Amino acid sequence: MHPADTMGQTREGAQYGFAFLDEDAKRELRRSIFKAVCIPGNQVPYASREMPIARGFGTGGMQVTLALLGPDDTCKVIDQGADDSVNAANIRNFFALTCPGVTGTLRTEEASVIQTRHRIPELPLRADQILVFQVPYPDPLVVVEPNAAKRRRMHGRADYARLWVKLYEDMVAFDEITISHRYPTRINGHYIIDPSPIPRFDVPKLHQADCLYLFGAGREKRIYAVPPHTDAVPITFTDVPFAVESFRDKTTGKRHTCRRCGADDSFLDEFLDDDGARIFQCSDAAWCDMRLERLEAAE
Amino acid sequence: MKPILDVDNLTRIHGPGCPACLDVTGPAHDTNLCRHCGSVVAVADASLRLHKGEVLGIMGESGSGKSSLVKMLYFDDKPTSGRATFHDEGQAHELFSLNDAQQLRLRDTRMGMVYQNPSLGLNFDISAGGNIAERLLMSDELSYRVIREKATALLARTEVPPARMDELPRNFSGGMQQRVQIARALSTGAPLLLLDEVTTGLDLSVQARILDLIMELQEVTGVSMLVVTHDLGVVRHLTTRTIVMKHGRIIESGLTDQILEDPQAAYTQQLVSSAL
Repeated sequence: MHPADTMGQTREGAQYGFAFLDEDAKRELRRSIFKAVCIPGNQVPYASREMPIARGFGTGGMQVTLALLGPDDTCKVIDQGADDSVNAANIRNFFALTCPGVTGTLRTEEASVIQTRHRIPELPLRADQILVFQVPYPDPLVVVEPNAAKRRRMHGRADYARLWVKLYEDMVAFDEITISHRYPTRINGHYIIDPSPIPRFDVPKLHQADCLYLFGAGREKRIYAVPPHTDAVPITFTDVPFAVESFRDKTTGKRHTCRRCGADDSFLDEFLDDDGARIFQCSDAAWCDMRLERLEAAE
Repeated sequence: MKPILDVDNLTRIHGPGCPACLDVTGPAHDTNLCRHCGSVVAVADASLRLHKGEVLGIMGESGSGKSSLVKMLYFDDKPTSGRATFHDEGQAHELFSLNDAQQLRLRDTRMGMVYQNPSLGLNFDISAGGNIAERLLMSDELSYRVIREKATALLARTEVPPARMDELPRNFSGGMQQRVQIARALSTGAPLLLLDEVTTGLDLSVQARILDLIMELQEVTGVSMLVVTHDLGVVRHLTTRTIVMKHGRIIESGLTDQILEDPQAAYTQQLVSSAL
């Protein structure tokens, strides 16, 4: 179909091609995505077009998603696990406006493309689903090497000793590794990626997954990927095991549970209620709703 | 005696360079600046051989090219022409025809460098122990316990109090920073150490202790060393053989005793007689 035939009316008088970006931009994005998938963990540069929102608000993820979406797709957008945050809702509305035919959904299992900020859904993703991450800082080496040219050479020869030195310094100071999010993770035995600010809890989900993970950094103009069934190993010492958040109560030693659905195996957000008491709730809203539905159906 | 390092006609010219560069510079012309093209001839046709377990001194005044020579051997700088062969574990590595990754591998695991300025050899933003851990991690040691034990032992051996190993080296005295650098250089059991003016800028008693430490470590480990210095005392204490450089050329070489007692080149005579 000629691109002109898929023109959608977005605002009064404003005509855009399907998926907002022009066809050349989408082609370039797709080529970069292919390269990223072919070289797991390698940061592939791309042009990063201007988006109608500011860089730093998910423009990298949006461009990757727009390059993927076709009229038959179902799209879900989450921000810290929630579908209803301002950022996620606006991006979902934008997709609905600019991609005629694409249906939005809040349910993880219905989506063919999921754009996310800071979380991987609790429900394991299938081979026919793609998860697109919004990435603020694509390069894990940026904390140890300010020179970008040197960083690219370091990636090329897998020269990552200085990342481990950071872990060593952590162990010396705190007797544990204190990285809470953006945990450096080695992909397919070579490149180490910054998996975007997902919590440690989500890092093991990258390993040997069924689905494709794509990472888009708009401001830094990089795309990288963890393809399905690929090794993704968080870096650590041989005698210091990688550990995820335990959500154990410090006094009782018991794991906190979600106050809505009672889940004891999900990533929890911590709030204070009106009386100042600490309460916990699933960070993944869709997961929590699905469990509630199941519980109601069982009753 | 087996060689560990062979350097053949190593040359480094800073600037555009011209065919006349080598002919119009050197001790005979009393300059290392080419009058035709303005290039600086830092090192010209330097050849030397270092044997296993040997300590070779490189002596000369400021700007004579001794540091330039060592920097090239540690891949901090690239030569204009010439070759260097590093004999290690039954293999002969042609240093300047290796690729980037191979060069770094050798540099990180099979060579050690101690710079005059500790800020070049150490990362001041990580602890003393972390600086040693970095070298161990480069050689694929990934056990925290082993790294910690090795770092403690190395720092103890170079007389850095273990209680201070988790402090930043920027808080250390100059002598202690130098000892951390030496511990770092020794950490991977490299067979070749390059020492660039290690005692310059330290007071006399600290100098003496650093020299004692280096001699002791050399005797225990049998490591080969290239010792760059302009200090006759260091040369006399540490080295068995010495070469003297001026304006990028090697003008004299031989046994250290012989050079200090009976210098042949005019410059060396001047150097030896001007010692306080």
